[in-house]
Amino acid sequence: MKRQWLNFLINPFEWIAGFQALGWGLLGMVVSTVISYLSGWHYHGLLHFGPAPNPAWWCYAVEHLVVWMVPATLFYLGGLILSRSRIRVIDVLGTVAFAQIPFIFMNLFNMLPPMQNLAKVDMNVPPTELLAQPGFLVGVWLSLIGVIFLVWVLVWMFKALKVSCNLKGYSLGILYCVAVFGGDILCRYLIGLCY
Amino acid sequence: MGEVRKRLPLQCPACDSPLRVGRLFCEQCDTEVCGNFELPLLARLTEKEQLFIVDFIKSSGSLKDMAKNMGVSYPTVRNILDDLIDKLNKIE
Repeated sequence: MKRQWLNFLINPFEWIAGFQALGWGLLGMVVSTVISYLSGWHYHGLLHFGPAPNPAWWCYAVEHLVVWMVPATLFYLGGLILSRSRIRVIDVLGTVAFAQIPFIFMNLFNMLPPMQNLAKVDMNVPPTELLAQPGFLVGVWLSLIGVIFLVWVLVWMFKALKVSCNLKGYSLGILYCVAVFGGDILCRYLIGLCY
Repeated sequence: MGEVRKRLPLQCPACDSPLRVGRLFCEQCDTEVCGNFELPLLARLTEKEQLFIVDFIKSSGSLKDMAKNMGVSYPTVRNILDDLIDKLNKIE
């Protein structure tokens, strides 16, 4: 039982995919959007987060949609080219949405006061002054803990691609890197249009 | 002591080459047939893979039903099936 839970935490898509994963993923996305709105932390891309000049609620919703749809679309298109299986778009959309659920925990960290202070810190001052600013180091440490959840999301996205598109070896690795790093650039461009 | 359930060996324990059938016998009259026969295609799959094929037939080929019965996701079942198709193509 304990082992099964551990396996689920590493690769939930062996058990959950399609509409079920999409339902949970969309619910997670709504919760994540609300938390982001309350904390004021924006998604600048798939791998970049921080304050942004547009505080409107729809901006947070668009960011979440872009961060979900861009990698999912790249996974699907890449899967159509590289996979020998008949992949379903619902599996790709569902697993990618579900894979982003750990973002909720990262967003919760961003609500903590030291993280809120970190957003207000002037980064254009010398390093010694930067370190002297109240709560700066605590904020940095909390950011590092937040990175754990980002890594968790990236691991789940890897598993999402592997299961939903039935890819292995080089084709899996290459498509994943293209979709995540290329997707991050595309997300940053698209989200940048909102500011 | 329960009876030991023996599994059909598929690969040579010394060099890993696929094994062939050299001797068959009738349990009733002890008649023996010797020769060099190839194992049937499905017999060359592992026990787990053979069970998967049996489940697939019993589910009338419905991967959705299989996923439900096995308690796994649809793409997981489809991936097992696709890997099995690949393996069968390689054996053939």
